Amino acid sequence: MAEDLVLDTAIRDWVLIPLSVVMVLIGVLRYFVSKLMRSSPTPDAKMVKEGQVVIRARNLKAGANFIPPKSFRARRFYFSNEENGLLHVPKDQASNPQAQMFSDPNMAMDMMKKNLSMIIPQTLTFAWVNFFFSGFVAAKIPFPLTQRFRSMLQNGIDLSTVDVSYVSSRSWYFLNLFGLRGLFSLILGDENAIDDTQRMMQMGGFGFDASKSLSAEKDGLDIIQHEWALPRFEHRAESVLRKLVQ
Amino acid sequence: MGSSEKRSKDVMSDIPTFSGENLQKNLKVIQNSRTFLSIIAGVLAGIIGFNGLTGFVFYFVVMLITSVGLMAKAGFSADLYFDSWNRVLFDGFLGGLMSFVLFWTFAYDLVHIF
Repeated sequence: MAEDLVLDTAIRDWVLIPLSVVMVLIGVLRYFVSKLMRSSPTPDAKMVKEGQVVIRARNLKAGANFIPPKSFRARRFYFSNEENGLLHVPKDQASNPQAQMFSDPNMAMDMMKKNLSMIIPQTLTFAWVNFFFSGFVAAKIPFPLTQRFRSMLQNGIDLSTVDVSYVSSRSWYFLNLFGLRGLFSLILGDENAIDDTQRMMQMGGFGFDASKSLSAEKDGLDIIQHEWALPRFEHRAESVLRKLVQ
Repeated sequence: MGSSEKRSKDVMSDIPTFSGENLQKNLKVIQNSRTFLSIIAGVLAGIIGFNGLTGFVFYFVVMLITSVGLMAKAGFSADLYFDSWNRVLFDGFLGGLMSFVLFWTFAYDLVHIF
């Protein structure tokens, strides 16, 4: 089964390379479009306040060991005090975040825009590939695969004796889809590199859930054991100064 | 890490402290180098004509060389620049794999089949 099919050079020129080039260009285009379309929503004052409180609590957690125990305790009390502590949300006020989010038209529009900008180019390209480039062998994968992959990879090819390594252009499309992520992160700079698959993974847990994050921060603060990290800082300062002076 | 080596950990105090921003920058450097090298490794593997398992072995060899190179750049003391050794050695292995396979397939086909 080790016969090496010799494929037409035209396939290389007109299928492989254009498909890759098109996918790279679409990725770049999508990056710029998402940059342009990023609308800045007018922030809700209450949500900004709560967000900032959470950030302060997190900073306190991060720097807890660098302040003396008493001041740490005072700050923690300020946050998680039962009556008027900032992080304490009374039980009846825990609003249902999902309902709030869907009734807020701005956020729904934003999410829809993001989803669309991700899904539409993929769907269009896939349809294009299927329409034009089906029914022939497009590439050979350099490593052997089992027979189970045949139906997945060789979709347009109706011969069952062809080696599973010879795949159709649809699988070349998928290979490009996953493999170009790395390339995008190199050429597009550090932000917004991976869009697709990571966003798909993140879509499951969305929701700026204010009350839950507040109580989570409160629990986090309560748990912390304070360990005074700079008990001997006078000695350390002295040794640093000595080194400088000498 | 680059030309201005940024220490992200201060080990002089009793409890190690991290500078988050420097740590992130160092991780970004690792990721970029691994991606770049996996693409180049893919093209090389395709041109040489590796087949099957040999190609994957080649990929792991290149990743190991990357790890050694990064360690050498960090002065063999990853403690100063990262929070754990595992990051320098193993981060981004699988991320580069897909790019490697793509460029390997591409180069292999260009050179051998067509």
